[in-house]
Amino acid sequence: MVSHPFLLRSALLHYCVYISSLFFISLAAWSVEACSKENATCVQIHVKNVNNNPLENMVVYIEPLMGQVLPQQSKTVEISQHSKSFIPYISVSQSTAKVNFVNNDDITHHIYSADSENKFSFKIRAGKTDSTAQFDHAAEIAMGCNIHDWMSGYLLVVDTPYFAKTDEQGLASFTLKALGKYRIVVWHPQMRSENNRMIIEKDLSMGDIITFTLQKNMDDIPVQKSDDDFDFLSDY
Amino acid sequence: MIKTGITLCQFLVLLFYFPLHMALAAEYTAHGIVDFRVSQIDSLDKGYLTSGQGKLGLGDGLHFSVAQIGADLSISWENGLSAHGVVNAYPKATSDGESTVLGVTEAYLKYRSLPTSSGYRFQTKVGIFYPEISLENNAYAWASKDTLDSSTINTWLGEEIRVLGSEFKVTRLGRMNNNKYDLSLSATAFINNDPAGALLAWHGWTISNRQTLWTEQRAFPWFPARADGQALAGQADKSDPFFELDHRVGFHARGEWKLRGKGEISAGYYDNRATPYKVIDGQYGWRTRFYHVGARWRFSKNLSLTAQYLSGDTLMQSESQVDVVNNDYASAFVALHYNWQAVVANKKHKSTLRIEDFSVTDNDDTWGDNNNEQGQALTLNHSYRLSKPWFLSAEFTLIDSHRPARYYTAQPVDLIERQWQLAARYFF
Repeated sequence: MVSHPFLLRSALLHYCVYISSLFFISLAAWSVEACSKENATCVQIHVKNVNNNPLENMVVYIEPLMGQVLPQQSKTVEISQHSKSFIPYISVSQSTAKVNFVNNDDITHHIYSADSENKFSFKIRAGKTDSTAQFDHAAEIAMGCNIHDWMSGYLLVVDTPYFAKTDEQGLASFTLKALGKYRIVVWHPQMRSENNRMIIEKDLSMGDIITFTLQKNMDDIPVQKSDDDFDFLSDY
Repeated sequence: MIKTGITLCQFLVLLFYFPLHMALAAEYTAHGIVDFRVSQIDSLDKGYLTSGQGKLGLGDGLHFSVAQIGADLSISWENGLSAHGVVNAYPKATSDGESTVLGVTEAYLKYRSLPTSSGYRFQTKVGIFYPEISLENNAYAWASKDTLDSSTINTWLGEEIRVLGSEFKVTRLGRMNNNKYDLSLSATAFINNDPAGALLAWHGWTISNRQTLWTEQRAFPWFPARADGQALAGQADKSDPFFELDHRVGFHARGEWKLRGKGEISAGYYDNRATPYKVIDGQYGWRTRFYHVGARWRFSKNLSLTAQYLSGDTLMQSESQVDVVNNDYASAFVALHYNWQAVVANKKHKSTLRIEDFSVTDNDDTWGDNNNEQGQALTLNHSYRLSKPWFLSAEFTLIDSHRPARYYTAQPVDLIERQWQLAARYFF
C-alpha cells in the first residue's frame, strides 16, 4: 500500500487550524487584565519624572486597606540569566507564587541574595531552571551572582495580585475586583525617596486616574556588563 | 629538589583526595588554550630560554611552534569551595629552543564566601599559585589576553614569582553599599620562592609567553664570576626559583579600587624574606622585594588602557655575608587597546600597542658579574576573532637594550631585537 503524502498533509492542516485557534483564544484570555476608562473598576496609574515625562518600568502595586477580596495570581514569574545579566532587571511576584530562575547562558551562575531576612543562594548550570527558592512574604530582594559581580537584579515580592510595571507611556492600569480604600505604591530600586518608593492612600472610585511625579531624578540604573568582553578569562 | 617534590606530591594528594569525600554535587570544568605560532626572529643565536643573552624566548631564525598547551582544570561545589589545577606544556619549536616540557604551574583550593548583607566577601586560596599581580595574564592557564608574548614584568613573574602559600582576600562590593566602586584587600603568606631574583639578575628583563613549571629549573647565561675560584663558583648551573631554603615565610599584600564600568587601580608589595647568605645544593637565597602599581581603564567603548609599574631590589650574599649580587630593578609598560567596533561594526578586531621601559642597576662590586641593563620595548598586536574559540593574531616586538654582560660572551652590548609572529590561538 502506498501512502499519499499530500492527503496526509491536508489532514495535518486540520489540526493546525484547531491548535492555532486555541492559541488565539488563550491570547484573548490573557488580555483581559488590561483595562480602559470605560471599565467600571479600572484604575490607571501614571508615573512621571521630575520633568513631567513618563517613566517606564516603574513597579506599581495596589494593596487593599479595607479587607477587600483579592484574587490569587497563579502566574509563574521567570527570571532569566542571559548574556551574564538578569533579565528582566526587575521582577515582581505575588507572595507564594512560583519563581523560576532560567539560565540561558552557556556557563554556570551563582545566584544569591545577601539580605538577612531573605537569604538564598544556589548555583545554576547552563540551560537549567531552578525553582527551589521560595518567596512567601512581601520583600524587596536584591540579587547578584557571586561569579559575575556586575550582575544585578531585583525581585519585589508583594502581598497583592495588583502589580504591574509602567509601560512606555508611564502607565499601569488595573482592574480591581472591588472598589474601596487602597494603598498605591510606586517602587524602583533607583528611586531617590524613602525606601525607594512613593505611596498614596486613597478611596478608589470608578475610573480613577492617579499620577505620581517624582521629586528627584532617578539614580543611574547599573549596567549589567563586564568591564572585559573577553570570554576566556580565568578568575585569578 | 626532593624537598619541593614531596611538598607538591602531598599537596596534589590533598587536592584530589579531599574532593572524593565531599558529599555535595560537584561541577567539573576544563578550560584552556592551544597556541600555534610562526615566529621570525632577528636576535642573537640563542634566546634566554636556552641560556642565551637574547631577550626573546627563541633565537635568530624562523620557528614553527605550539607555543603553549595549557589546561585549567577545576572542580567546584555548591558551597563556594573549588579545587584548581593548571597544567602547561611547551613543546619544542622547530630549529631551535628548549626541549618539550610539561608540568603543573598552579594547584590550589579556593573558597569564596557569599557576600554578607553589608557587601563584604571573603576569599581564601591555599596551594601553589601566582600572587595576584599580573594585569595581562588573565586568560585561562595564565595566557596573556591581548598579546602573544607578555610584557617584561609579566614574563618575569611567569618565570620566577610563584608561591606555595595561602591568600586571604576581602572584597567590599559597592553594589550593596550604594557605591559605584568595589574595594578589595588581599594578603598572602608563602614559602618556596627563595631564589627569585637570580634569573632577573643573570639574563635581565625578557619577553616571551613561557611560565616556569613547578619544581622546574631554568638556565641562564655564562659569566666569569661562575668560574672556579670566583664569587659564584658555588652557584648551580640552573636556578630553581620555587625552592625553599630557610623556612622563613614571605608575604604579598595588595589593594584594589575598581570603578564599575570604568576600570581599576591596584597596588601591592611583595617580600620573599629569604635569607640572602643561605645556600643549599647551589641554590642561594635571594632577598627579593618589590612594589607594583597598575591600572586598567576604559576611556570609551573602544579605547582602553593597561599600565603597570614594578620596582624593587634583590640581595644575594656569600655565606660570610658579603654582597655578591645587590640589584635594583624596575620595569613599566603602558598598553593601549583599540576595539575596531566603530569601523568594522563588530567586536572581532582588536589592536594593542604596548611600550615598555626596563632597567636593572647593579650595586655590588663582584668581578665578572655585571647585571646592569637598560632597555625599551615596543609590541604591536592585531587580533581577529575568527569564531568563538579561535583568535588569529599578528604581533611585532622590538626590543632595544643595553646590557654590558653580553660582553662576557662576545656579543654586542647594545642590541636591537625584532620578532614577527603569526598565531592561531584556540581557547576552550
